[in-house]
Amino acid sequence: MSIQINHLTHIYNPNTAFEKVALDDVNLEIKKGEFIGLIGHTGSGKSTLIQHLNGIISPTSGEILLDGENIHKDKTKLKEVRRRIGLAFQYPEYQLFEMSIYKDVAFGPTNLKWTEEEIHKSVVNALEMVGIPESMYDKSPFELSGGQKRRVAIAGVLAMNPEVLILDEPTAGLDPKGRDEILAAIKELHDKRGITVILVSHSMEDVAKLVDRIIVMHKGKAAMQGTPKEIFAHVKELEQMGLAAPQVSYVFAALKQKGYDVPTDIYTIEEAKQALYTLLKQVKV
Amino acid sequence: MNMVKAEGLTYSYTKILETDHGTEEQTVTALKQVDIQINKGDFVAVLGHNGSGKSTFAKHINALLQPTEGTIWVENMDTKNDELLWEIRQTAGMVFQNPDNQLVATVVEEDIAFGPENMGVEPKEIRKRVDEALATVGMSEYAKHAPAKLSGGQKQRIAIAGVLAMKPKCIVLDEPTAMLDPVGRREVMETIERLNKEEGITMILITHYMDEAVRADKVYVIDDGDLVMEGTPKEIFSQVERLQAYGLDVPQVTEVTYLLRKEGIDLPEDILTTEEMVGAICQYKSTI
Repeated sequence: MSIQINHLTHIYNPNTAFEKVALDDVNLEIKKGEFIGLIGHTGSGKSTLIQHLNGIISPTSGEILLDGENIHKDKTKLKEVRRRIGLAFQYPEYQLFEMSIYKDVAFGPTNLKWTEEEIHKSVVNALEMVGIPESMYDKSPFELSGGQKRRVAIAGVLAMNPEVLILDEPTAGLDPKGRDEILAAIKELHDKRGITVILVSHSMEDVAKLVDRIIVMHKGKAAMQGTPKEIFAHVKELEQMGLAAPQVSYVFAALKQKGYDVPTDIYTIEEAKQALYTLLKQVKV
Repeated sequence: MNMVKAEGLTYSYTKILETDHGTEEQTVTALKQVDIQINKGDFVAVLGHNGSGKSTFAKHINALLQPTEGTIWVENMDTKNDELLWEIRQTAGMVFQNPDNQLVATVVEEDIAFGPENMGVEPKEIRKRVDEALATVGMSEYAKHAPAKLSGGQKQRIAIAGVLAMKPKCIVLDEPTAMLDPVGRREVMETIERLNKEEGITMILITHYMDEAVRADKVYVIDDGDLVMEGTPKEIFSQVERLQAYGLDVPQVTEVTYLLRKEGIDLPEDILTTEEMVGAICQYKSTI
């Protein structure tokens, strides 16, 4: 499984006064098993991009290939595309509607007309992946905490057994504990189950902690791509695009400027601690 | 002088639970005997995990909720006195998390005029207030725009302008930046700080973002309905373990400092910002 995006362009309201180029000749490849962080400020095109991947909107020009096959070519196959590339929207808990957690998660597989046995297996599996125990299956999803609701909503996508999971701002509005729970669940999905994950986030700290590769969207283009180390070394460029680097990155940029011999590709707390420990333990000779 | 004062503020409600043997009633106490004083002109931050009671507290300031025990005064007005309700809400305005849920009109300036219109303000005076409020939040050029077409940060600034047009002395903001991107967050935080410094409006910011809380004059922490900590940002954030036990974060630089101190490196424990951290490291290097 790989996703190949070739010359993808999307124009909203073409040939009208409201014409807006949301995606402008985007070329990307996402490989099986990657953990991608997709960042960009509001209006940069990242939502338009993920809506294409899930087949919700069609390109104005260009194509998206899933294992070499254009996903928008045959509309009758879109249902299968949506199963393989699962999308958890922003605030997915607003989409919970069933009487029980179990029924809510079973909604997708039931619509796919799977057998009772297959449905049961996929629901149990999905809920286990997000850490919801069997004792809670009959509870109403509306009795849960914010973080739990969101995990149930994500399980609803996972129950369809996707190969790629796209999460749009999965931690927005959660408190630090809820955020850590969700991120731990997502990390486990990627590490243990080998699911390809595309994480859309405004939180550079979250992205820095988790992903293998970052794609920065800016004005409808994929403006930068690289490992977190490569991307967060470009604090200035990120700021110009209305983004920011994790707080510790700024400390190292400032120390470097003051003439200290420190690395400038530091972006997590653990790395920062190690690098500063080394710096501060050095004795003058 | 107090803007907000609470004594023994308690709020409980009955929750109906569906169980196997029918329904059961359970009393939930969201705020327990909270005593608090918020000074006029201060910028304060209220922290706490989801369900801690911090939003319940915020709603008491605006008299959206009334205490079941104890009393809360807004500029010496008891919120239980229904006759003062309008005056209380005019004194303490409120801005909520989701900007889409609080804008009512299809044109920006009409949205801002909504509050003063309801208060029966003279049309001429309304015009003046709308223009002033828009200028204060830096949105004058959007007066005739549709709110739906604005960015999240712009919408929140319109929501703040709508409150400003009622000439409040205090604004309560319940996680106003939770749904915004970094640019939107910066716009809203700058607006909050400017209104506090230049207009002297008391700002009460409920937030999960520690980098916002460090900018306040004072920080309050609420946990399971109890007011458990209050102090300056430095006093609060230097207690890393305690905050983590309440399910809260500290700024990245504060956590790094905490870890380095555990390794025996003697940096000051109250580092909150990038500048402070860089300064402390330079100082440390010059002494060894």
